[in-house]
Amino acid sequence: MASDAPAPEYLLELKDVEAGYGRAALVLRGLTVQVPPSSIVCLVGPNGAGKSTVLKVASGMLTPRSGSIRVNGVDVTRNGPQDMIRSGLSHVLQGHSVFKEMTVAENVGLGAYTVRDKALIAERTDFVKTLFPVVADRWTALAGALSGGQQKQVEFARSLMVSPQVVLLDEPSMGLDPKTTSKVFEQVVRMRDAGIAVLLVEQNARRALETADIGCVLDLGKVHITGPASELLADPQLAELYLGGRPAAVPTT
Amino acid sequence: MSGSLLLQSVILGLLLGGLYALLAAGLTLYFGVMRVVMIAHSAFLILAAYLAWWFQRETGLDPLLSLVVTVPLFFVVGFVMQRLLLARLRPATLTMMSVLLTFAIALTIEGLLGYVFSGTQRRIQLDYSGSSLEVFGANIAVVKLIAFGLAAVALLGLWALMKLTRFGQALRATIQHPEAARLLGINTDRIAGFGFGLGLATAAIGGTALSLDSTIYPSLHWHWIGPLMAIIVIGGLGSIPGAAIAAMLLGVSQSLLQVPLGTTWAQTVFYIALFATLMVRPQGFFGGRLAQRF
Ligand SMILES: Nc1ncnc2c1ncn2[C@@H]1O[C@H](COP(=O)(O)OP(=O)(O)OP(=O)(O)O)[C@@H](O)[C@H]1O
Ligand SMILES: [Mg+2]
Repeated sequence: MASDAPAPEYLLELKDVEAGYGRAALVLRGLTVQVPPSSIVCLVGPNGAGKSTVLKVASGMLTPRSGSIRVNGVDVTRNGPQDMIRSGLSHVLQGHSVFKEMTVAENVGLGAYTVRDKALIAERTDFVKTLFPVVADRWTALAGALSGGQQKQVEFARSLMVSPQVVLLDEPSMGLDPKTTSKVFEQVVRMRDAGIAVLLVEQNARRALETADIGCVLDLGKVHITGPASELLADPQLAELYLGGRPAAVPTT
Repeated sequence: MSGSLLLQSVILGLLLGGLYALLAAGLTLYFGVMRVVMIAHSAFLILAAYLAWWFQRETGLDPLLSLVVTVPLFFVVGFVMQRLLLARLRPATLTMMSVLLTFAIALTIEGLLGYVFSGTQRRIQLDYSGSSLEVFGANIAVVKLIAFGLAAVALLGLWALMKLTRFGQALRATIQHPEAARLLGINTDRIAGFGFGLGLATAAIGGTALSLDSTIYPSLHWHWIGPLMAIIVIGGLGSIPGAAIAAMLLGVSQSLLQVPLGTTWAQTVFYIALFATLMVRPQGFFGGRLAQRF
């Protein structure tokens, strides 16, 4: 953690990124997203806008055709997922991505695949078990035998095993009950308070923007508007277009 | 069928089933790792058998010793084959194209064997080739027991590798969710290559076991690939325990049917079981969720 260089302005920075899948048309067309330390940046936008693609580029799953990616001030544009993890990045995919035919214990253990220190692994295992009791309760069960929401919690636990600096969460609340959703958001806030940068994608946009510090509205592979989350929430035009109606808090005249 | 003949058939079937199980495990591993249908698996099996025979003829040493060379060699060949050939196929048509590619590899191996060793039938002659043991009153050739022991040890080793090691965990993770595995820092490309190497190593062990008590010839592999394919489908594609159970059951069935029907007709048990499986339970009997996702 201790470094002599001045702390960079952004923990994660994607600049003028152009990216696409294979030979198909570009999905991201010159997109810039910046995540300062100790902050939650929320991406909102319609289906197919390219939100998941932003996260895939950030975690090295998809190499951008142009533009740059910096983590902690270091250029990591061409790095694959393995190097990205070493730079302190953790990505929880949209949908379900537990290893279904493996136990919860094995799933969480694989979260620390790149960690060699046994004591550290034990410490973090205890931490995620306390954070998500279901992980401790179903420790020896096959992950595929858990309910969807429980599986999601196993995924969070798995992603925290590297104690990341930057966390990418793709629709974390999907399929979670209100109580667990609150818990996940609470955890996101707690990570932010601990200095971690969070890049969050949510369909539950209003809820997410209420939690986030900065909001980015994405459409057709570009950031249309970015600004403090509270301002985006208050903007009636934005609310109409992307948040499914006017904000309830703003009285209509 | 007399009691002792019945017993003898069951035991022979189990011994044969062990070899089937090992080979099917390799075949199902390729499919699990990268949805590849590896037609050349049994060609490598026969290649290993030839190498064991040739090793014994040239050195006079026990053919089992050839394993020291063939197992690492096949592992490397499998790794290279996956990295240089199969990994280059387009994902969208991978399964289909892999059939064509590995079919070509099988023909190449068969051709090379014929060219180098000629089409003559070969058989290893050992001091203990003729000896047999009495097991519950049934007479069982020692070489068959050795072959089974070899297969059993290899399968057990494979199981331990998959279940207990870091590499095995990474391999299973890669099979179950490649994208998530990559995001955890697993080098899935390399792991897939190793998985392929491991599959081919089972062919090396199986081939040596086979060479102990079979007459071999270059085109023998066609005789094996059908039953093996049937076994992995019945066991549930990608499921190693499923393949092992199906292999044992079918090995015994084949052996029992051999007495009244003869060798050729007894083989049809694989295809009948295959048709029945595809009608009743197309995802296979033991694959469960894993198989359904393929
Ligand atoms: N693996 C892929 N191969 C090819 N095209 C893809 C792939 N993944 C996404 N796309 C395309 O990229 C575009 C953006 O997809 P992306 O998943 O980033 O959208 P999203 O904003 O996350 O949508 P959603 O809200 O539905 O999750 C879509 O047009 C989609 O068709
Ligand atoms: Mg998405």
